[in-house]
Amino acid sequence: MAAEGIDEFDIRDYLRTELLPHFMCPGCGHGIALRALLWAVHEERIAKDQLAIVTGIGCSGRVGGYIDANTFHVTHGRPLTFATGLALARPDLEVVVITGDGDCLAIGGNHLIHACRRNLRMTCLMLNNEIYGMTGGQVSPTTSEARLTTTTPYGNAEPTFDACGLAAAAGAGLVGRGMTLQTVALKNLIREALAYRGFSFVEILSDCTEIFGRKNDLGSSPEMILRQKGSMRPDFYGNTVEHPFRPNNLTTGIIARNERPEYGDTYRSEVLAPHGHGGAAAGVSAPVE
Amino acid sequence: MNALDKESASPHGNRDAARPTNVLIVGVGGQGVLMVSKVLAALCQSEGFEVKQSEVHGMAKRGGSVFSHVRFGEQVWSPTIPRGEADIVVALEWAEGVRWLDHLKRDGGTFIADTQRIVPPISFRNRTRNAASAYAPETPAEVVALVGNGFALDATSMATGLGDRRVANTVLLGALSTVLPFAAEHWLAVIEQFVPAKTKDLNRRAFLAGRDWAVSAERVPAAAATDAVAQKVTARAIETAPAHLLTINEAWCKGCDICVKMCPERCLSLNARMVAELARPDACTACHLCEWLCPDFAIRIESAPAVKGAS
Repeated sequence: MAAEGIDEFDIRDYLRTELLPHFMCPGCGHGIALRALLWAVHEERIAKDQLAIVTGIGCSGRVGGYIDANTFHVTHGRPLTFATGLALARPDLEVVVITGDGDCLAIGGNHLIHACRRNLRMTCLMLNNEIYGMTGGQVSPTTSEARLTTTTPYGNAEPTFDACGLAAAAGAGLVGRGMTLQTVALKNLIREALAYRGFSFVEILSDCTEIFGRKNDLGSSPEMILRQKGSMRPDFYGNTVEHPFRPNNLTTGIIARNERPEYGDTYRSEVLAPHGHGGAAAGVSAPVE
Repeated sequence: MNALDKESASPHGNRDAARPTNVLIVGVGGQGVLMVSKVLAALCQSEGFEVKQSEVHGMAKRGGSVFSHVRFGEQVWSPTIPRGEADIVVALEWAEGVRWLDHLKRDGGTFIADTQRIVPPISFRNRTRNAASAYAPETPAEVVALVGNGFALDATSMATGLGDRRVANTVLLGALSTVLPFAAEHWLAVIEQFVPAKTKDLNRRAFLAGRDWAVSAERVPAAAATDAVAQKVTARAIETAPAHLLTINEAWCKGCDICVKMCPERCLSLNARMVAELARPDACTACHLCEWLCPDFAIRIESAPAVKGAS
């Protein structure tokens, strides 16, 4: 299974196994997304000491705690801001932000736009499960129309947010979308995002089985993950799906590329160097012992 | 012995003139079944016989089943050969030959087949690693013993030896020529009409190679090469040791049922404690789907140590 010249991937090498089993509900897609991330890290041969994970608040935020690397669990909606400072100060690190649909688009929506605009090198994984699962199932910016949540007892009437469209429009260097059903394709997408020199945004469609699925009568965990196929269907099949996972026919794979200068490089060469700070900041500052 | 000197004392030469001679040519798409039948039909026509030919090749593309009926005689009415009435079956592929064996006449029919196996994907319905394939298990020796007059030759290897495996059908034409009452020069003249100009010499050599082989093998139907094929078939069935190891960490499994429902082979099930277990280890193909889709990292598939060492 391993790529050429790499040891077979064993996820336990990248986990704080003493914390497992993790807190997530049975069938939660976040675990699959975490596997895809760690698998991509393994195949990109990123050392655990070079990996910095920044997470916000929510179910997605707690995913970071299980990763045996440098992990930061920060305030709600602000993982991109913390990561921006980290990536500017330590350009040698692989900075990965794990955030959720609410954390990234609602509370941290402004930070996402500006992170995309700057195009600073980091990878942002947005785990989209359409719900605020941890706080009891409130409506989120990506909750599909007519879905029931604790704050929309008669069905959600708000239009949904297309996170990838937003990121592409705001200028993110690489924008992609994957789903947990297609783990290998998702892993390959994350690999591309990790290797990209600039801001890469990956939306991961993940299932909330207990809070969102149960309330909307979406069936068991396997039924929910199989329903992800419904969102892969081309438009002309859209009407024939009775209960699509997402009614908005989301495309997967790499959705947009914006070839723009990487902000860290620009900042070091055009701001720091002319003011005599080039030596210390252009190079890699020594890690704090 | 030069094949051209051989007197055509063929089994299908002197016969009741009122009854046509039936030749069934079978193979898979891309092998040249139709070229063989065209050569035969044109030759028979030039020898003054009435010929009817019919073929089915539409679904073949490359790799699908192709057959062609050639009937020749003083008077031929129907273009198709009824089951059990083919005087000669020429098979360009081994399993196709076995498939059409029931069309061969029970007494005195001649069976000419290439022992080369072109294994179709459907033979691997059992997807367990190292499982035996469902390809025709009959060995050339068994089939040759079954029919009246059998030639099982590795025409593809002979053709490869001559420089191009695509002339395997001409090698079989050479073998076919020894059982029909036409002179070798006539065969070669017709073949040259149908092959590209720059392969005329190659096809000539292929024809003579097939003819030589048939003449020399006439009294020893089960040649040494066929035994080698038979050995290969038995050897395949033996390697069935599992090449992988599936482990389930019961402490991490939350019984979400994803692995059970997503397994294409239905190998897993939830036990009384609602923990996944490998109920049918034999059916597991190590496709890794359960491992990838387990949200709790409870399933792990490792290559077995023996396999790791070998690779």
